[in-house]
Amino acid sequence: MSEPAIVVRDLRKTYRTPFRRKKVEALSGVTFTVERGQIFGFVGPNGAGKTTTIRTLMGLIRPTAGSAAILGHAIPSRDARRRVGFLPEAPYFYDYLTVGELLDLAGRLFGMSAAARTKRANELIEKVGLDRARSQSLKKFSKGMLQRAGLAQALMNDPEVVVLDEPMSGLDPIGRKEVRDLILELRDQGKTVFFSTHILSDVEAITDEVAIIARGQLQAQGSPAELVQKTLRGVEVTVRLAADVATAELETGAERVRRVGTELAVVLPADTDVDAWIARAHTAGAKIISVSPRHETLEDLFLREVANADTTVEARP
Amino acid sequence: MIGRIWAIALNTFREAVRIRVLYGILVLVIGANLMTLVLGQLATNEEARVTRDVGLAGISLFGSLTALFLGVFLLYTEVQRRTIHAIVSKPIERWEFVIGKYLGMALVLSVLVAVFAVAMTGMLTWQGFGVSSAIIKALLMSWMEVLTVAAIAIFFSSFSTPFLSGIFALALWVIGRVTPDLEAAARDASPAISWTTKITLQIVPDLHLFAVSGRSVEGVHVSVHGDFVSWGYVGLASVHGLGWIIGLLALSALLFHRRDFV
Ligand SMILES: Nc1ncnc2c1ncn2[C@@H]1O[C@H](COP(=O)(O)OP(=O)(O)OP(=O)(O)O)[C@@H](O)[C@H]1O
Ligand SMILES: [Mg+2]
Repeated sequence: MSEPAIVVRDLRKTYRTPFRRKKVEALSGVTFTVERGQIFGFVGPNGAGKTTTIRTLMGLIRPTAGSAAILGHAIPSRDARRRVGFLPEAPYFYDYLTVGELLDLAGRLFGMSAAARTKRANELIEKVGLDRARSQSLKKFSKGMLQRAGLAQALMNDPEVVVLDEPMSGLDPIGRKEVRDLILELRDQGKTVFFSTHILSDVEAITDEVAIIARGQLQAQGSPAELVQKTLRGVEVTVRLAADVATAELETGAERVRRVGTELAVVLPADTDVDAWIARAHTAGAKIISVSPRHETLEDLFLREVANADTTVEARP
Repeated sequence: MIGRIWAIALNTFREAVRIRVLYGILVLVIGANLMTLVLGQLATNEEARVTRDVGLAGISLFGSLTALFLGVFLLYTEVQRRTIHAIVSKPIERWEFVIGKYLGMALVLSVLVAVFAVAMTGMLTWQGFGVSSAIIKALLMSWMEVLTVAAIAIFFSSFSTPFLSGIFALALWVIGRVTPDLEAAARDASPAISWTTKITLQIVPDLHLFAVSGRSVEGVHVSVHGDFVSWGYVGLASVHGLGWIIGLLALSALLFHRRDFV
């Protein structure tokens, strides 16, 4: 039996500033599960608690309450870290090293043999496209190059689970596509990829499962299709009218009506009996041109969930 | 375990040897050794004494200051620059990281002390005085002192900023060096002061054990220029220093273990 890749249960984290004694509740009870072999997108606006969740998972910070496990090992666990690769947010590495030396250091910490380290480092440098920057120290790397070096060091141990905090940030469109392809490739190799982002197009393009977090709480979780399916917003029907018919009957109850010449487009609410409407249109002599469901986009959902989270939090005493 | 600690130590060494200030200190101390040529001329028949005193004082002072400097900064910058995020998220324990960091520093400091020692003994040989066993003993103990100071600095930096760690560690170094004088002064003071001093001195590393020249040890006056401590004393003092180093590192590891890296 295989445990889920990542299990997070009611995770809470309150930051305390040491002197001013101000408390910031960054996570207020986050629960989710990442199954093996999934590409899991962890989405949320700035300050939502993504990085805090990820740092807790990687053992960098201790949760105030709640629990989490990676591959069945309760965190913080060295056994888990052996099988996990991690790309920190806006990574910064020892700037006096070259990418090869950085990977060698990572390999040593993973307990790899010298031969294995060299072989793997060469493969990865090639893979992340840093071949031509081999002899440069990381100090001279651009933001995107550092991000690539970061990805390479996360993959040194050929990890079963890969945790990436904003892997696409700082990358140009080509770089973004390359990272997307890399993530897909990892999934094809049977690995689990958990990554945070606020770029929704990245999520829609590649994730199997999405969780939306805002204000330290999970707002929604599901596959991108499920999430937007749940929220069918309406049906748009376009018809060609027989000349000069009164359209009042067809317009009742529509959310939006647009008429251009003899073409009429209406958006019907999700709960409308579309068949009945079409029957009426036929009777009026109209010809159906198209019927299409209007789903909420992930972006609509995201914006709505974030707005919801804000009002709930403000409504709290 | 050894492999991981060694990886951190080597990386720390690489990091430290890039700090330019170290080369400044190196030049300064070697310059001071050369200066003894002039100073020695001024004090007739005292050349050997001056060379020995300046050489040993240089190691103790600049070695310890370097240890302080490295100790309070190297651990702190890892957290500050977040380079530590990609390290402690690997299968390494935090105590292994602390030990590795210390060993890397100890390596740099040992090289520094060795260079100072070579400069000093080189001068003595060149001046035709030779190197006595007292010199070797004094050098070994200075080395131990520097290593202990590094552990003190790491201890403070495991929970504090470089500024505060620097002040604390400097205070401990000074108090540790003048312990016998403080003890003597407190003997005649009121009981309250006397006891506070005693307790304070108990928790301060006994760095004075390593700087014995010109003091009396167990009632006998010792000097690096004449009768010096026995090898047995050097051994005991080193074991004592090692005890402090291990204790301080254990505490540092414990404190470091509890920290959040944000
Ligand atoms: N060291 C800290 N001390 C106090 N508060 C903190 C600290 N780090 C983060 N926070 C707060 O915790 C909350 C969550 O921050 P976190 O970095 O986890 O967000 P995020 O989702 O990763 O945001 P982003 O998309 O900007 O990276 C924010 O309100 C932030 O201000
Ligand atoms: Mg973040």
